[in-house]
Amino acid sequence: MSGTILENLSGRKLSILVASLLVCQVLCFLLGGLYAPLPAGHVTVLGSLCREDHGRQNDTGFLLYSRGAGACIPVTRDEVERDSMKMANELVHVFQMPLPRDLRDLDYSRWQQNLIGVLQVEFGYDSSSELREPPRELQLTIDMRLAYRNKGDPDNGWKLYAHGVEHRYLDCVTSHVGPTETIYSCDMIPLFELGALHHSFYLLNLRFPLDTPRQTNLQFGHMHDLTLTAIHQNGGFTQIWLLLKTVLFPFVVGIMIWFWRRVHLLQRSPALLEYMLIYLGAALTFLNLPLEYLSLVFEMPYMLLLSDIRQGIFYAMLLSFWLVFAGEHMLIQDSPNKSTIRSRYWKHLSAVVVGCISLFVFDICERGVQLRNPFYSIWTTPLGAKVAMTFIVLAGVSAAIYFLFLCYMIWKVFRNIGDKRTSLPSMSQARRLHYEGLIYRFKFLMLATLVCAALTVAGFVMGQMAEGQWDWNENVQIQPTSAFLTGVYGMWNIYIFALLILYAPSHKQWPTMHHSDETTQSNENIVASAASEEIEFSHLPSDSNPSEISSLTSFTRKVAFD
Amino acid sequence: MDISYIFVICLMALCSSGNSLSQVEGKQKSGRGRGSMWWGIAKVGEPNNITPIMYMDPAIHSTLRRKQRRLVRDNPGVLGALVKGANLAISECQHQFRNRRWNCSTRNFSRGKNLFGKIVDRGCRETSFIYAITSAAVTHSIARACSEGTIESCTCDYSHQSRSPQANHQAGSVAGVRDWEWGGCSDNIGFGFKFSREFVDTGERGRNLREKMNLHNNEAGRAHVQAEMRQECKCHGMSGSCTVKTCWMRLANFRVIGDNLKARFDGATRVQITNSVRATNALAGVSPNAASSNSVGSNGLIIPQSVVYGEEEERMLNDHMPDILLENSHPISKIHHPNMPSPNSLPQAGQRGGRNGRRQGRKHNRYHFQLNPHNPEHKPPGSKDLVYLETSPSFCEKNLRHGILGTHGRQCNETSLGVDGCGLMCCGRGYRRDEVVVVERCACTFHWCCEVKCKLCRTKKVIYTCL
Repeated sequence: MSGTILENLSGRKLSILVASLLVCQVLCFLLGGLYAPLPAGHVTVLGSLCREDHGRQNDTGFLLYSRGAGACIPVTRDEVERDSMKMANELVHVFQMPLPRDLRDLDYSRWQQNLIGVLQVEFGYDSSSELREPPRELQLTIDMRLAYRNKGDPDNGWKLYAHGVEHRYLDCVTSHVGPTETIYSCDMIPLFELGALHHSFYLLNLRFPLDTPRQTNLQFGHMHDLTLTAIHQNGGFTQIWLLLKTVLFPFVVGIMIWFWRRVHLLQRSPALLEYMLIYLGAALTFLNLPLEYLSLVFEMPYMLLLSDIRQGIFYAMLLSFWLVFAGEHMLIQDSPNKSTIRSRYWKHLSAVVVGCISLFVFDICERGVQLRNPFYSIWTTPLGAKVAMTFIVLAGVSAAIYFLFLCYMIWKVFRNIGDKRTSLPSMSQARRLHYEGLIYRFKFLMLATLVCAALTVAGFVMGQMAEGQWDWNENVQIQPTSAFLTGVYGMWNIYIFALLILYAPSHKQWPTMHHSDETTQSNENIVASAASEEIEFSHLPSDSNPSEISSLTSFTRKVAFD
Repeated sequence: MDISYIFVICLMALCSSGNSLSQVEGKQKSGRGRGSMWWGIAKVGEPNNITPIMYMDPAIHSTLRRKQRRLVRDNPGVLGALVKGANLAISECQHQFRNRRWNCSTRNFSRGKNLFGKIVDRGCRETSFIYAITSAAVTHSIARACSEGTIESCTCDYSHQSRSPQANHQAGSVAGVRDWEWGGCSDNIGFGFKFSREFVDTGERGRNLREKMNLHNNEAGRAHVQAEMRQECKCHGMSGSCTVKTCWMRLANFRVIGDNLKARFDGATRVQITNSVRATNALAGVSPNAASSNSVGSNGLIIPQSVVYGEEEERMLNDHMPDILLENSHPISKIHHPNMPSPNSLPQAGQRGGRNGRRQGRKHNRYHFQLNPHNPEHKPPGSKDLVYLETSPSFCEKNLRHGILGTHGRQCNETSLGVDGCGLMCCGRGYRRDEVVVVERCACTFHWCCEVKCKLCRTKKVIYTCL
């Protein structure tokens, strides 16, 4: 039988490996913290008011824009007030992105990946009207037209990208109570999400149709400012992110090939844990695959959905791996058969499956539908929000169940180790040292998992609390959110990289060790003697069980039989 | 070196004798400080709203100072925003004061006259409000115009990515585009603040108490805009979770800022005219550098750089750089005319000569002064408080010499006991009752698309007018 590299690696080599991986981890953190900009940037656009003819309102090819040759001349609020009809059904709110800065017309770059638009509405009621309470769940009907233009197109060369008449519900608070008018400012409403920022300029035309028979928008007073915030991923962040992925991808692929070759060199079929490791590596490789390069050339609106799915698969795999890992080290082998997911873990993993499926369904309902209609959002209707909330609560509950169960399993593993440890003093010196080392290294890896999880949580919390940047000193600034994102991404890569190395089967074959001189006190010999002793002691069929991944398992199992 | 030194001393002596004289004249001519003429641009674009206003317009030439004209020229589109801002300030002021005896009336703008009339010459409460609301309106309106995309020169603030390699190597606007691609641009509000400081405060040097009052109130107006900004955040991480969150600042409706400023108007602090010139002179003599002003007066409040963006002023003021270099290369001149001896001191001999010194002083020091309350038991004014120097006139009777229109013919509220009530508004002269019929459109029905039908409603209204 063979052990894993983790058990056979000398303390010095292990510390060198851990140290170099830690250096990589710090590099990942610094890459995000020092070089990358904030993950996302935004453009805040105040709507310009344009007046249009009645005839053109149903012509979706007709687009109004506020800058460039042929732009509409904006009307001021005073002019609207002076108009006897208040220009009802004639006003178009125009948002043209991005805004010019530093005497230059900026344009979106494909590095900026995606665009999310939210709208903030401010409106007023005459104080004479009966409405006094701030409106809740006020339905707003918006006719939205999104258009694009590319660099080099003429100023009026806007092409319609999407058109939709959507409902949004507003929750508002009073911001000013005056003798003539009460002004309400409302929570932001999601407007659109584009998975691909493929074009240079975008234009949004909003109309608020007033219609008495259909009762749309009649409860609204005067629209005041409409502010659109268009959030995009920062190009610099995309570059750093892709750099990280491109660098990590070949390493993980290489270590996976190495790992799988090692497993296949053995005279047995791969064990469950080895399968799990290779699946985990595959999921990570899928996540690392720098598909974003393609979005620089092709329009890929499904990138947001795809990246959600890729992350989802990875996290599902990681969670499953932990469960199986803890289960395989349970030290109580109840069946001599080779354990498979189906035979032993389907109950354990059901929480992960339920959680992932509910999140997947939610994502399909939100971002999947957005592929067809970028203005769609499941949160905008009360029913949709309830459905979405149900899925998220379901996912949350399964996550809670999963973690409770995982904690229970880990607690059981540690208790078993503790129990078996009491029998350690009765063993021979060499064997005891060896097994104490094994337990130490096993715990070390458990600790690493815990540290990784804790760092992720802590980094997340700090990223939430810290707004903007931290100034280390005058010329060193740290972006906590970017550092968190690259740091955590690098951390899980390094974690899985380390797992693949340390849990690969060792090439130090036990049988050959067995023939070496047993009197020398080298590390290999201690291990060898321990192994020989183990074989001597055990008369159990489980010893030849090919599913044994580590001799620790066999050791504890044997002690249990003692 | 020696010759220039002697020359400077001679110039100083000359100026100091002439200076006191011109100061007296200046005080009689206009005690208001020099930064108020730009309000006139509110009326510049009025006759023809459609054609864009040009900065060469003679009306602009007469209203704006040289530096203001330069700012307008260098920032295309800013003029429209300034006109809007000035009008916003006027309408907000008139809204806030519609129920008071002084109703923020403006006069027909003519060359060389102040838009709000002679009331501005007095350092009273009303004046403090005008300064604060105009400064706030410019800040607000510039920031808005940036968001509308009508000003093309709004800065894309790169401070948050100054470490990116691209920012260092390439120069000018190419780097700007690279920076936008690399790390996006900041909110527009910072530009509004910087511009407002540059534009609105340009005439106020903070040399006498009136100019300090104006500066303080201008700063207070901006501080109110800043205080009413609200942060909004949106989560957009995996599946919309908060692993990635983007936050931005949202400007409040200007009406809210007007409300707050009106509340500060009601609780404005009267500050002292007589300041201890001697004490500050002595201090200035000991340490003539700008920092000394912070230590003057232990009970006074040191007004901090209340606007966050203040430190970035350096960048916009880079045309002053040669002056500073010159100043540093002639340390001797520093001793002879202490630059900005103390912001609390009244103008004194020798300041005219030290042009460089004054400039440097203004740059570092203009906003670093303290004002002491007239009543020593009162709290010293905070950065958001309005300050004034003299008590207000009653505003009851027409007095053209002081620019007061009086309350004859004003509408009042019969049932109110406050200032808008007919008793107080009409100063006890009595009032007239009129009934008028107002015709309004009402009960409208809408059809999308594209029809609106309304009825005409007649409502009777009772109006009370002061005699």
